[in-house]
Amino acid sequence: MRKQMLKFLPLCLMAALLSYGCVQTGGTEDAAKAPAKKAEQAQKENVYKGKVTGKSNKAKSISIVVGKGDKAKTMMVKFDDKTTGVDHAAVGHASIIAYEMRDGQPWATVIKPKLAKLPKGTTEIKTAEMAEVIAGDTKIMLIDARPAGRYKGAHMPGAVSIPVGVAKKNLPELLPKEKDTLIVTYCGGPT
Amino acid sequence: MSTTVAGLAAKKGYTNVRVFLDGQPAWIKDGNLVYASKGFVAKGNIVLIDLRASKKAAEGRIARAVSIPYDALEDRMEDIPVKAPIVVYSDSAEEMADAYEDLRDEGYKKVALVSGGFAGWTKGGGETVTGPVDTEVNWVRKLAKGEVAQDDFIKVIKGEVTDTIILDVRTADEAASGGFPGAVAIPLDEIGSRHGEIPKDKKIFVHCTTGARAEMASKELKSKGFKDVFYLVANCECEGDKWKFED
Repeated sequence: MRKQMLKFLPLCLMAALLSYGCVQTGGTEDAAKAPAKKAEQAQKENVYKGKVTGKSNKAKSISIVVGKGDKAKTMMVKFDDKTTGVDHAAVGHASIIAYEMRDGQPWATVIKPKLAKLPKGTTEIKTAEMAEVIAGDTKIMLIDARPAGRYKGAHMPGAVSIPVGVAKKNLPELLPKEKDTLIVTYCGGPT
Repeated sequence: MSTTVAGLAAKKGYTNVRVFLDGQPAWIKDGNLVYASKGFVAKGNIVLIDLRASKKAAEGRIARAVSIPYDALEDRMEDIPVKAPIVVYSDSAEEMADAYEDLRDEGYKKVALVSGGFAGWTKGGGETVTGPVDTEVNWVRKLAKGEVAQDDFIKVIKGEVTDTIILDVRTADEAASGGFPGAVAIPLDEIGSRHGEIPKDKKIFVHCTTGARAEMASKELKSKGFKDVFYLVANCECEGDKWKFED
């Protein structure tokens, strides 16, 4: 009985981590931090989370960048016919790759897309509605949040370029006066 | 990225903030148009196409534009490198949209329009030139970081550069059917365990059949402490000791 409980312990920790990641409540943050950290460490051993930078179907390999800034590292993980969700690993998209070690090499077991979370006070808009709004008369400020270079090459009609770095410094000056103006932000897909 | 900016706007008290999570790729995939900015049209490493009749283009066009009237576009596509970013303009919105769709259907991934077409360009103060039109597409891809130019790779094959090693990261089967003389063959998925076989004091030139695996392998080698690693992006076919490249 006790053994069985222990078996479930990692699962519980993972569940705790997941719920922590999705619901960002201000007050309980500190209390939740400690166990979440532990779970994160346990999880780090068998999960790569980050942007896929390479995929070869011939070599059955995926390279994925994990970690941020100076700590960013490119990891190589193999996949085989038993790996589920291989299509979710696409170059340029964020993925969560669960893996196991075999012959000293990581092999992907389950690949899932890393989904972006909507910030508080915002809603999602889908492509069809987006097209309707742009074609219609609604006053809209459409913000391209990608790096300026990407905006220059191609952007959606009427979009203005406000990369994240710029937004963090002086977004208030760039936004319209009327606080109820429709503001839509976009980037290069779910990251 | 989009969520960060949206979150900031919501925090500032904006009440109608929405996030187009699927983003530009979904927008394009759904057949919607995208536009290039003025600076990119004027200076970017692009193929800029004037879709109007050549006579009109001669009377005034955006500098660097190649004259390919829309009716000739289909026939001329073979002259346009598939990796080139393309910007098209015309005096007809419909024609621009058609050209955009045709190019995308043909496999061009980076296609954009000049906002407002030729009229939009001049109205926005964009510069124009007159005189006989250009019809030749001259576009050369800029090398990415860590990439080797085809000509330089050929010098390495011919042994004209010293202290180099060609690393073939194709599968064992592929390598068995032919390869470059003197190349070291280690499949991409074995780089992690066999990189010790590669000398660290030589310049390493990595190839596969397209460049995808070579790029991954060179990143992997760099993470293992190799410094001079370059990869080749080219369609590369080897049979016995014969080889050929294509862009």
